Amino acid sequence: MEIVLETDRLGKRYGRNWALRDCSLRLPAGRVAALVGPNGAGKSTLLHMAVGLLRPDSGSVRVFDQPPYGHPAILEDIGFVAQDTPLYRDFTAEDLITLGGKLNRRWDASVARARLAQLGIPPRKPVGKLSGGQRAQVALALALAKRPRLLLLDEPVASLDPLARREFMQSLMGSVAESGTTVLLSSHILGDLERVCDYLIVLHSAEVKLVGPVEDLVDGHRRLVGPRHDGGPIAGVESIVKASHTDRQSTLLVRAGQPVDDRLWTVHEVTLEDIILAYLAEGSANASYDTWGVPA
Amino acid sequence: MMWLTWRQHRKQALFTAIGLAALAAFVIPTGLAMRHTYTDLGLPDCARDASEFSEACNQAFNQFNDRYNTLLLAGILFLVLPLMVGLFWGAPLVTREVEQGTHRFVWTQGVSRKRWALVKFASVGAVTLAAAVAYGLGVSWWQEPLTNPNGNSRFGFLFFDMQGVVPVGYTLFAVALGVFAGTVWPRMLPAMAATLAGFAGLRIGLTVLARPRYMPAREVSDPLVGAGGQPYENAGGWVLAHGIRNASGEMVASGVQVRCPEGVTGPDGRQCGAEFGPGAYNWMLYHPADRFWPFQYIEAGIFTALAVLLLVLAIWRVRRIA
Repeated sequence: MEIVLETDRLGKRYGRNWALRDCSLRLPAGRVAALVGPNGAGKSTLLHMAVGLLRPDSGSVRVFDQPPYGHPAILEDIGFVAQDTPLYRDFTAEDLITLGGKLNRRWDASVARARLAQLGIPPRKPVGKLSGGQRAQVALALALAKRPRLLLLDEPVASLDPLARREFMQSLMGSVAESGTTVLLSSHILGDLERVCDYLIVLHSAEVKLVGPVEDLVDGHRRLVGPRHDGGPIAGVESIVKASHTDRQSTLLVRAGQPVDDRLWTVHEVTLEDIILAYLAEGSANASYDTWGVPA
Repeated sequence: MMWLTWRQHRKQALFTAIGLAALAAFVIPTGLAMRHTYTDLGLPDCARDASEFSEACNQAFNQFNDRYNTLLLAGILFLVLPLMVGLFWGAPLVTREVEQGTHRFVWTQGVSRKRWALVKFASVGAVTLAAAVAYGLGVSWWQEPLTNPNGNSRFGFLFFDMQGVVPVGYTLFAVALGVFAGTVWPRMLPAMAATLAGFAGLRIGLTVLARPRYMPAREVSDPLVGAGGQPYENAGGWVLAHGIRNASGEMVASGVQVRCPEGVTGPDGRQCGAEFGPGAYNWMLYHPADRFWPFQYIEAGIFTALAVLLLVLAIWRVRRIA
């Protein structure tokens, strides 16, 4: 199995704060991976290091077995769309396609033209005057025209309305399915991901909480409902991700390597969204009471 | 890359061309008018031979200077022009990309950041250089009649700074400073403010503190009484200090020179100049006129070297921006 992106104890620090720390993960080729986490979890930092914009402060990141920082040759194989899809606002879509041709050795302008024509995007209007959704589409078309082997998208749909979001995701999936491009896209909107992603990375507070293929993750987690739980071991359960209790009842989201066979507990299947929320809730910090000077 | 640079900056280039054209529209007619008057008053002959500097010449020069000295207000504009170029060409070059996030777009295409920076800096530098040379030559030509033996020395503060090769050095420096400031501050306003402060600070600092010391200044002493030694040796030169010193070398009256013809007495019946004590003499510290070009090259060289240094630092900084 070919590994496209590999990080080993990767870290990045801004001043005294770690934006990303001890991040180790491997992204196999051909996957469409979601990078999930709340704002400030380190998603953009990870993507920027993957595309060589940032230099790691600790650990290593390798893309196609090369460290991206200081190796611009790798850029040929990476399509990158940064957060808020920045483009030269006074350039037209046509200009940007010409520009891409000048800056990239491998460039398929017809790919970009066909996409934008299909989406009805005006070629000779400055992109600053297009809607957010259209601009995101232009940025994606430019990234795809590089015919990248790895596509990195940083919150590509964050600023779009639900309809534009769905259209964007559909057109993205349509094009990467044909080419077999590996995709890593970050998002904090969960609903979009379940339909399209087959690999998941959950980041929280600068740390990786969960990595793996979506089906394994969904198979490996269960929700248990039963009598109030005192923390003792349950047969078949590896670890408890999240627990909530009422007076008499406990609901647990657990990681289970094998079927849970305990008559005390009712076992439910979980959705990807349940898992993500459980892992994100687990990490929520309440350290800020101190900094605000109020009692917890 | 060249295509991108041109496409991105063509509007700026157009505005710069318009600005230069407007400058030419002012400089050429007024320059020609000055030259006409200068010739009509017969001043070229006066200026050619300083020893025949007659009363008529003196009057003609005064007439000329009275008429055109108000134009010197324009000289202030010429002094801030390099700064303008630095603010509007230099500072936005990197800052605007970072402010709008487009650096993440352009630096992740197939061109390395170093190459991007080199091409951008080199093309903007070349355009700046061309504009600065045109402007430097134009202003040098324009202000030539204004620096005459009876008026302003071309070594004087305002005049030295707006002619010859120094405007080119200033402009290159201002642009490089703007570019560098843009790699340090990711916002336009602080970058422009830093460019303004840095440029003004270094220009004033160097002019006041360093320029008088580019070469050791010359001293000259003249007796108070008599025809005087070299009355015009310092014409067109740069007088740093002058005054009257007594026999032991102490300054007794600074900022004054006295030249008394033999046998002339003051109201108290003493020989003119005797009030300064026996053995007092005129003293002057100055740079002779022929040091004008060495000083120009030294100053332009300092600023150009700083510009190169700042651009190298800027390229290094660009690799740290994400």
